[in-house]
Amino acid sequence: MNWLPHFDNWGRGLAAGVIVIPALLILYFLKLRRKEMPVSSTFLWKKAIQDLQVNAPFQKLRRNLLLLLQLLLLVALILALSRPVANYRPGAGKQTVILIDRSASMNAKDIDGRSRLDEAKRRAKELVDSMKRGATAMVIAFDDNAETIQSFTSDTAALRAAIDRVQGTDRKSRLKLAYQLAEAQLNFDPAQLRSNVEPADIRLYSDGRVLDGNELSLRGHLVFEKIGTDTAKNIAIIALSARRNYERPTQVQVFARLANYGPDPAEAPVQLSVDGDVIDVGGTRVRNTFLLPDRWTRDQRDAWDKEHPDKPAIDSVEFQLDLTSAAIIKVEQMNKEGDVLEADDVAQVVVPPPKSLAVLLVTPGNFFLEKAINSLGLNKPDTLSPTGVAGYEATKPTQYDVIIFDRYKPTYIPPAGNFIFFLDGARAGLPEMRVKIARGADGNPVVLQDVGVLDWKRDHPILKAMSLTKLYVAEAVKLDVPPEDEVLVDGLKGPLIVMDHTGKSTNMVAAFDVLQSNWPLKVTFPIFLQNALQYLAVGGDMDVRQSLEPGATPTIPRGDLQKIGSPMAIRLKGPAGTTMVNVPVSGDFVLPALNHVGLYSTEPPVPQFERMAVNLLDPGESDTLPAERAPGDMSATIEDVKTTRARFELWWWIVAVAALPLLMIEWWVYTRRVHL
Amino acid sequence: MTVQIPSKSTQILDPTFMARLDQLDVMSRKLLAGKMKGERRSKRRGQSVEFADYRNYVVGDDLRFIDWNIYARLDRLFLKLFLEEEDLSLYILLDVSKSCDFGDPAKAFYMKQVAAALAYIGLVNYNRVHVSAMADGIVAETGALRGRRRVSQMIDFVDKLKPGGPSHLADACKKFALQHRQKGVCVVLSDFFDKGGYENGLRYVAGGKYDLFCVQTLAPQEIDPDLQGDLKLRDIEDDDLAEVSITQPLIKQYKANLNAYCLSLKDYVTRRGGTYLFTSTAVPFDTLVLNYLRERGLLG
Repeated sequence: MNWLPHFDNWGRGLAAGVIVIPALLILYFLKLRRKEMPVSSTFLWKKAIQDLQVNAPFQKLRRNLLLLLQLLLLVALILALSRPVANYRPGAGKQTVILIDRSASMNAKDIDGRSRLDEAKRRAKELVDSMKRGATAMVIAFDDNAETIQSFTSDTAALRAAIDRVQGTDRKSRLKLAYQLAEAQLNFDPAQLRSNVEPADIRLYSDGRVLDGNELSLRGHLVFEKIGTDTAKNIAIIALSARRNYERPTQVQVFARLANYGPDPAEAPVQLSVDGDVIDVGGTRVRNTFLLPDRWTRDQRDAWDKEHPDKPAIDSVEFQLDLTSAAIIKVEQMNKEGDVLEADDVAQVVVPPPKSLAVLLVTPGNFFLEKAINSLGLNKPDTLSPTGVAGYEATKPTQYDVIIFDRYKPTYIPPAGNFIFFLDGARAGLPEMRVKIARGADGNPVVLQDVGVLDWKRDHPILKAMSLTKLYVAEAVKLDVPPEDEVLVDGLKGPLIVMDHTGKSTNMVAAFDVLQSNWPLKVTFPIFLQNALQYLAVGGDMDVRQSLEPGATPTIPRGDLQKIGSPMAIRLKGPAGTTMVNVPVSGDFVLPALNHVGLYSTEPPVPQFERMAVNLLDPGESDTLPAERAPGDMSATIEDVKTTRARFELWWWIVAVAALPLLMIEWWVYTRRVHL
Repeated sequence: MTVQIPSKSTQILDPTFMARLDQLDVMSRKLLAGKMKGERRSKRRGQSVEFADYRNYVVGDDLRFIDWNIYARLDRLFLKLFLEEEDLSLYILLDVSKSCDFGDPAKAFYMKQVAAALAYIGLVNYNRVHVSAMADGIVAETGALRGRRRVSQMIDFVDKLKPGGPSHLADACKKFALQHRQKGVCVVLSDFFDKGGYENGLRYVAGGKYDLFCVQTLAPQEIDPDLQGDLKLRDIEDDDLAEVSITQPLIKQYKANLNAYCLSLKDYVTRRGGTYLFTSTAVPFDTLVLNYLRERGLLG
């Protein structure tokens, strides 16, 4: 941009000038066609004219003055016709795809207090205004998804309305889908398939922070409308994890990591609140962090460290607190002065209450198991003998979360539930399930002697952080494990612990009697039992419920819906308001995308989905430094507008300030003029 | 139904108006010598009932005019002299150039009416009336007319005059002055729009033997032109063209020039002992004759 205006229609103005100005001059050379009027004598008239001419000042100039004024007027009109524009930026081509980034980073308010999305929309509308007759454009809004807001049209009103409809989300940005959508739309146009046709303009209104910048390819002329300022300050929480202590389930550890995407080092106090109340953790309400700019190079960081040994960078905080009930833990960074992006200042997690399980142990008598179960702090640790008046077979209990069958093959088994079987060597038997006991030719179980541990699933929630190398089993039965079942612990001679899903039951089968192993004496035994019970009872979600990322679509299993009586519709409350979601008649239920950062809740409360926390926690989106290059196209034109001054059409100023006054002066001179 | 076809005389002068004219006579501020016996006092001594003077008798005088009473008292012969009563010559110079065929009502018709009225008064009062039509010279003349009987002849002459030809006041006046040496009242009816100037013409008739009356007659369209736009003004006499763009200052200047022209004409005439009268054809003709001309002393 420069101080000279751009002429949008200079060709038209030039053509008009070439035609009109010579025409005016020719008209001046022509004589006026006058009406003839008889008079008795002309001598008095001639005398009057002579007198006036003699007395009139600048009489020679008068005639030329009129010509001069008319020429000036014409020049002014021609200038107006050529549509001069101040603050010009190249306008729309014949065919334009408008891509508007609506991801989380576009909510940064660093354009004079307005958000980047607002600026993107303003510039996009400006582009629409500059569209020439017959030009078409389409509007695509994208985050990690892409949506055609308006397909190709030349209707500028529709395009403007479509641009206005674009709403920001807190989702990540991925361009691939948007590019694919744009290409697909272009391919619909037969004109674009010709070889000599000029490729369509693709206008990307974004800060360029996209996750898939390296995977992109695009046909067409990309113009990257870079939006955002380099100096925008943003301190973000980029990681948050909270988990309960295995040993002390009431204790929750919260760990948060922060990053500074501003240009200067900054301190960022972090505070923790539980259910909205700021709490003191370790005597202070806030933990201080000191963050070096993320954009700094390693050399810069080293230099800082050398110069300021008293101010080392601290980019993470850890809190430990006791929680005996369900709660929402919120971590918030408090340095909000000049912070342009709100969504990443807060992260929260939902902590379910520690689960107290109802567990039934069916055993002819097992000291270690009984001891272990009673020590786990369970809700209902019951022990029944298999048979007898008050025995298991007689009472047929169904209210337990987990039933442990120790060396007993039940004849009755509840239609659904979680079961643990400890098998009893040669006398072992299993109810009907996928896992079978391998039997020899005589029909007896194959018994393995002296079995050590070969390997175990270290990443399984039950066996996490556990070493089983020292486990030794004196006697175990051999199991036939179908491929769809999961072997948790592999012995040297055969599988030792298997997870089986049969029908609505989940069975964990241990191929040995604990009394025939050294396991009860190991520390891993009660941990294993706790994990196994928790896992079977609540599934793999042993930790604090982890937060969802924006745009997540959680799936609610049918079983959870049945627990609350299969409602027809669920009310989903979120930061953007409340929506009613109809529940399908069968199958699992997928919630609509949770687009905004914050807390969502369901009503009626669906177990495990009563409350869901959506956090940004994305370094890519929190990084508010606009990209230097267009994503996916190194050669793309980059329109980086430092000023926010709008494109300004000058033509009506010319008409108002120059042409109209000139016309009035010309009229005045014409009425005053006297000539033969 | 019978249609009353107006006679020629009523076109120019209607009978009731003529009846009113009967009471008027042409006045002259000068005592002028007539040619024939008439009803007007003359400078000459002659035969009338009005005593003028005595003079000494010289041989040859008519003895009838000797005042015998004085001879009885003084014993000397004195002769009684009486004022002569002669007729008055009334010259009417009527402009019939093309420029007079302009205006609404037309100047030519209006001037013909005035000329006829004046001539009528002259005839009725036994004056010697000459009506001359002038354009670029004297184009037509009645010769000397006298007496009421000539009224019809005079009106016929005036009525038949058609405007045409350029104005040339100097030629016309010169010719007129050469032809009519008899003193008398000279009335010039014209618009005095002569590109050669009125001075060269009027000097032949101003002063000296004629008692001059100039009646400048203009049309309202000349006095207050109602023109607009870009025009090509054509002089109806000589087809001279003037291209004008009518503007307010131009109209103003035209009026100022016209006023100055009329004033200079008046000045010229007055200084030479004549009488100037300006009239517009918008002024009713009878008002002009019965009021204005009487006020100016032409009629009495």
